[in-house]
Amino acid sequence: MRFLMTTKGGSRTPDAAMMAEMGAFIEEMTKAGVLLATGGLEPGGLRMISSGGEITVTDGPFTEAKEAIVSFALIEARSREEAVELARRFWKIVGDGESAIQQVFGPEDGPEDGPGAGPR
Amino acid sequence: MDAHRVVDAVWKMESARIVAGLARMAGDVGLAEELAQDAVLAALEQWPEAGVPDNPGAWLMAVAKRRAVDHLRREERRDRGQERLAHDLATRPDDGERDVDDVVDALDGEVGDDVLRLMFVSCHPVLSTEARVALTLRLIGGLRTDEIARAFLVSESAVAQRIVRAKRALADAHVPFEVPAGPERAARLSSVLEVIYLVFNEGYAATAGDDLMRPSLCLEALRLGRVLAELTSDEAEVHGLVALMELQQSRSAARTGPSGEPVVLHEQNRGRWDPLLIRRGFAALLRARQAGGPLGPYVLQAAIAACHARAATPEETDWPQIAALYEALVRVLPTPVVQLNRAVALAMAYGPRAGLTLVDTLTGEPALTGYHLLPAVRGDLLARLGRHDEALAEFERAASLTRNSAERAVLLRRAATCAAKAGEAEKAEEAEQEATEAGPAEGDVTLGRAMGLFLARPDLSADTVRSYNQTLTRLCRHLGEDAPIRDVTSHRVAEVFAAAWGTAAAATWNRHRAALRSFATWAAERGWAAAGLAAPLDRRPEPRPRIRPIDRSRLESLWKRPDIPLRERTLWLLLYESAAPAEWALSLNVEDLDLPGMRGEVKARGHWLRWQSGTAALLPLLVGDRRRGPLFLADRRPGPGRMPATADLCPHTGRGRLSYERAEYLFKRATGDLDPEGGGSTLHRLRHSRLAHLGEEGWSARMLMSLSGHASARTLHGFVRVPRPADTVA
Repeated sequence: MRFLMTTKGGSRTPDAAMMAEMGAFIEEMTKAGVLLATGGLEPGGLRMISSGGEITVTDGPFTEAKEAIVSFALIEARSREEAVELARRFWKIVGDGESAIQQVFGPEDGPEDGPGAGPR
Repeated sequence: MDAHRVVDAVWKMESARIVAGLARMAGDVGLAEELAQDAVLAALEQWPEAGVPDNPGAWLMAVAKRRAVDHLRREERRDRGQERLAHDLATRPDDGERDVDDVVDALDGEVGDDVLRLMFVSCHPVLSTEARVALTLRLIGGLRTDEIARAFLVSESAVAQRIVRAKRALADAHVPFEVPAGPERAARLSSVLEVIYLVFNEGYAATAGDDLMRPSLCLEALRLGRVLAELTSDEAEVHGLVALMELQQSRSAARTGPSGEPVVLHEQNRGRWDPLLIRRGFAALLRARQAGGPLGPYVLQAAIAACHARAATPEETDWPQIAALYEALVRVLPTPVVQLNRAVALAMAYGPRAGLTLVDTLTGEPALTGYHLLPAVRGDLLARLGRHDEALAEFERAASLTRNSAERAVLLRRAATCAAKAGEAEKAEEAEQEATEAGPAEGDVTLGRAMGLFLARPDLSADTVRSYNQTLTRLCRHLGEDAPIRDVTSHRVAEVFAAAWGTAAAATWNRHRAALRSFATWAAERGWAAAGLAAPLDRRPEPRPRIRPIDRSRLESLWKRPDIPLRERTLWLLLYESAAPAEWALSLNVEDLDLPGMRGEVKARGHWLRWQSGTAALLPLLVGDRRRGPLFLADRRPGPGRMPATADLCPHTGRGRLSYERAEYLFKRATGDLDPEGGGSTLHRLRHSRLAHLGEEGWSARMLMSLSGHASARTLHGFVRVPRPADTVA
């Protein structure tokens, strides 16, 4: 199963020690084939809205961006719990914040395999 | 979250390291696994109440170790390894979980090696293949017994039994917990690779409706492979296997159609291939190349998969490269199935006839009796040659042999198409006869009708029809299907061509031009269209890397060098004098030679290779007393694991046929000093040198073609002085 994890926050100041820890973590996850893609994101970014055939592009709106780390990770995990466990390890490195974990559906995941349908 | 599921997830992530660490200390894989299971039970009891610990892996490890100490004290066994474990743990201050991280840190340096040892032991040859697979998934993948059972469609108790017996067998055989060294290491590593690929293939064979556990075996195998690749980074074959699996897995979404039917490679929607996995596959293949060494079966298969992955459309597939890779694969993995695949590649690269020749040599193979892909491939090749009646029989045979119902449906559909085509071909023949008989009276033949009749000709292969159809459909769209062909002018055709393919690559332009010329000639013969419909369209030069010939004087001195052994001297002279491909020369057998006639028959090609006095003087010396078998022999007898086919073995000396790689290497080494870059020349260049020299002497393209076996005069451009299609022997 693939999951997309997006994160906001991170209370720890990104110093050399944290960067090293993060680097080692990312390397280990990449080698294990768990981490497929990852990267930092600009806070805010552009917003596009399609409404009634009309498309509007705006800057933001930005929330309190400040020094918040915004990033994403695409991971290949065997279960939802494994994804959570990986995210837990991530937060142990970067401190406080919040993340969203969403399964990325592939062609093999019919709607019946969607969230909520399996044994929870 | 359900604590059971959390424990299970953590266990899957950590099991390999925990069991491996315990096994090293206990010296017994079975005991290690039981201790680890105790820890899992403890987690199931405690985590729901106390919450998941900060470092769940270390928690499990610490508990397992405490159980180990208890166990050892209770049993008071005197095994050396266990004594060490008891001592090791008993002298460590055991003040609860606070030192857990220390315990794990102390192990960290060795954890990787332990996991590798665990892999080698799980795939130990004292175990049956099923036991190896079950134990590997259980110990390294962390799969539960019921998961393994569901994945392999067997009962849970059967899997549990397999694992119990496997653990006992390892203990009985006193299999040490280590990675063997020396030659044993290679054999044992290949057993590990085999198990991983077996797991992968089991998942790959899953069909719609199967338990979801089955397809997930592919991912499990990928994980195992990736972990192994990290632990043995200098083993090319490990990276080769990972590359192969990543590339095969990248196609998983495109492999089946909406109703679960298999979709063959060339019909797959390549937009559904997973670019992430393709990239990982390429990276792994690159690491395999960097690891060096001779190309093994996994690396070669991965390289073939990479050829497919690189092609954005099936038409862009580099089939000659794939055929060459299969050629190399056949040498290290000389199985009939690989030969069959090679035949498919040859057919794609050089036409169905080339493939059929090889397939026909396989029909007697006992290993392929009952193998549905043999008649399926043969049927496909026959159909492409327009031999629909024979193809029909083969497809029906293939359908009766396959056990997969979706595949059977596909084969029966192809059989039906053949039956229809066989009928159509007859009708088309009749229709053509009618049309021809009607002659010029049919003044108003439309473009669409002419095109239909043209494409229904029985002598066109399916590929040709597909290719011609592209060209003619485009023409029809611009000029109108109903336009009388008589009114179509060469000027209008040229306009359509310029608009459609004016900016395309030269090869594309030339392909469409060839299609149009064929159609125009055919239509003009029937008096339907004006002659010269394609006349204004010029052939465009296709860029082709030039191969510089080797100087004559340098070759002369090479022939005279005293340090060149007889075999090499004969082979090189033969290649030069015959200007034949090296594969042909190497495929010669003693019994195929006509020494007085100065020629030898290349049986697979039905082509005679002709040489001159230089070779003729050396050949009797090289042949000696031999009466049969390969003409050019390898230096040594083949090892037991690499036994070639009987046809490639000399009955007199027991040595195998000289390989292309080896012959190439020898020539490169000998010519290193002729080459400014020092890399030496290829055998291909030697052949082309001869063609260039003959061209300088005024040989025509046709003469060169008949000498060298070049299929097309175009590939000879640059060798002959007057490269005109109408070139004749003066």
